[in-house]
Amino acid sequence: MKWYVIRRVLWAAFASFIILTITFVLMDQVPNQQLMQAEFQAAVNDVDVETAVQAEKERLGLDRPFHERYLDFMTNVFQGDWGWSYEYDQPVVDVVRETVPYSLLYGVPAIVLSTVIGTAIGLYSAVNQYTKKDYAATFAAFFGISIPNFWFGIVLLVVFGSWLGWVPIGWNADIPLAADGSWTLLETAGSDHPAFFRQDFEGERYVGILSPANLKQLILPTFVLMTGAIASVMRYARAEALEYVDADFVKTAKSKGVSNRAIVTKHIFRPASIPLMTILVGRILGLVLFGSYLIEVVFGIPGIGLASFQAIIRQDTDLVAITILLPTFVAIVGNLIEDIMYAVLDPRIDYGDR
Amino acid sequence: MGEDTDTRTKADGGTAPRDVTFEQVDWDEIDADGVARSRKRVAWLAVVSLWTIGVAYDLYSRFVAETGQAAFPVLGSVSPVDWLWSFTLLVLLYYGVVPLYENPRMTRYYWKEFKKNKAAVVSALYLIVVFAIGVIGPRVLPEPEPTPGLENQPPVWGSIEAYSAGTSCAGGTTTVDGVTMCQGSWQHPFGTTSSGEDILLSSIYGMEVSMQVGLIATLMSISVAAAVGLTAAYYGGLVDEVLMRYVDIQMTFPTFFLFLLLAYTIGSSLFVLILIFGLFGWGSSARIMRSEALQRREEPYMKAAKNAGASSLWTIRRHLLPNISNSLITAATLTIPSIILAEAAIAFLGLGDPTVPSWGRLISDGRDQLRTAWWISTIPGGFLFFTILAFNFLGDALRDALDPRHGGSGE
Repeated sequence: MKWYVIRRVLWAAFASFIILTITFVLMDQVPNQQLMQAEFQAAVNDVDVETAVQAEKERLGLDRPFHERYLDFMTNVFQGDWGWSYEYDQPVVDVVRETVPYSLLYGVPAIVLSTVIGTAIGLYSAVNQYTKKDYAATFAAFFGISIPNFWFGIVLLVVFGSWLGWVPIGWNADIPLAADGSWTLLETAGSDHPAFFRQDFEGERYVGILSPANLKQLILPTFVLMTGAIASVMRYARAEALEYVDADFVKTAKSKGVSNRAIVTKHIFRPASIPLMTILVGRILGLVLFGSYLIEVVFGIPGIGLASFQAIIRQDTDLVAITILLPTFVAIVGNLIEDIMYAVLDPRIDYGDR
Repeated sequence: MGEDTDTRTKADGGTAPRDVTFEQVDWDEIDADGVARSRKRVAWLAVVSLWTIGVAYDLYSRFVAETGQAAFPVLGSVSPVDWLWSFTLLVLLYYGVVPLYENPRMTRYYWKEFKKNKAAVVSALYLIVVFAIGVIGPRVLPEPEPTPGLENQPPVWGSIEAYSAGTSCAGGTTTVDGVTMCQGSWQHPFGTTSSGEDILLSSIYGMEVSMQVGLIATLMSISVAAAVGLTAAYYGGLVDEVLMRYVDIQMTFPTFFLFLLLAYTIGSSLFVLILIFGLFGWGSSARIMRSEALQRREEPYMKAAKNAGASSLWTIRRHLLPNISNSLITAATLTIPSIILAEAAIAFLGLGDPTVPSWGRLISDGRDQLRTAWWISTIPGGFLFFTILAFNFLGDALRDALDPRHGGSGE
């Protein structure tokens, strides 16, 4: 068991190492923004371009051999020195620190809700296999899996935002913040709060993560992100639960007169929950990471996905590298946790085998 | 799989009546059968070598002679995606349609099983229509071009306030409540985009792009997955360990983010997109096929083949591969929609090739016009949604029919 965990951790470290190397090699091919800027400056100031570029290269350490730069990159990544973002004009670390909370704002509720709802529907569907309710749930799951997230988001935005006017169309990034720009759960603020820019009103309104205005603008992104996730969880939960619906111990419990509810929660859900955990981490995380990218672009949420997208469009190399590496690391760590949990929770698993 | 071996004997010597003894079998006739089979193979090899020569000549004139794209007598110049596309279509024809045509009895059996699932039949019909239009349409129809003056035209059944549309109205104008309304016309049945492109034409071109991306990348990824999965399962031991650890690493790097990285560093085109999804998205299919092949490896026919002196390659191709074909077909049908969706998403973000008339690009084109011209995003989005839905239905039905463990409608 101990060895299994150690091996798994080492493996995750090795995978991260490989991915960092690939990223470094690829990013090394991209023309450096600072060099181009230096070249441009030299041309404008009528200085010799060659020497200016050479000087800038020396200043940035780009004239050193490949392996030294590689080592540098690796140590920098581990020390949290992730480079400079030209677009935001601040260190990449700060950009990440500012944008990630926005992604968590709708990502966390979406993961939790879709897990709970998906599992519940899946179990219900499995217990009522081949009934009309089961078919309806399966059919709905197909829609959830097939509907393109970004398109669904746009359609909902038009229907509920523009036609019915129930939710705001633009995303107000200042609402979850306090007046001084820090995160707050719930407080009141007057019209001088940045969220109410160009709005004149008397008295105070709620701001913060739990304020009604913030919850209102989070509904659609969370819902769109959930559609695919609920459907996936539901399908897996149903398939897993079906393995135990006809098991001997379920029949025994039934014949003893155990209530339906107890059978489902204690005899079917418990054994089925272990393999369910695997997909929860692996699949749902993947879905959410990929989905958040599109959802942030569609809804204009200033999270990490939108930052990454704009970095790509505006050639902000350091930010691109980190915003692509981060989700990948989240996936690696997620897989690691999943493997270890699996080993801890399921006594049947054989640790000797890889 | 019992039926499969049955038809094989029938195809080989099925012409001989049941009650003839071994001595009476007309071996000449069976030999003639063999010649016919080899004739089909010869034709296939000829087509493949013709294709290879074409690719080689194209590569030669691009990179060695550096005279640009090679021009061919009838075809003109052929783009890299078109090379892959033509090969994919050939493989589909040779390994998909021809065997079905040669075994009408099995075809009828499959059809009987398949049509029990109504949703899958409708899905298959829809996909065949989209595929056919997508393949033929761009060959015979003009390319959609921006037409100044004909912007935001409504679909044939709809109308739009004239000030939202271009300067001219194809379907004429009417006045409703004092507002001049621009009517749709059959000239542009689904209307036009904000740059005046015909949406029907663009959607038809988009069908080809989606089918190209989905089918080519899936063919690539399934071939690699089958090769890796079967090799790992067949040899076991160190080979298995090395291959599957590689799969682990590859799967930790989500294909979408890998594409973003590559699109940023080396530039994106439809060709690069297909290659990335084809060559790096096969991890989970390889795992599924390996686990299936591990079970098949222990079957008696594998031992029999080995004892009869069959080589490893032969055993894998003739005994292991056909017997995991159910996993393969299911994995293929479920890979296609995910790749189509990813391509549309990338085109929507504007990170793909801007010259490719993809559905995703159309959807993002209409995003700003949603309040006035809802159809620009909605119609291509509908095509995209129904295509993905149809592939998912089809994949699920095939899994039910082919996978004995799922215990669906198939026996």
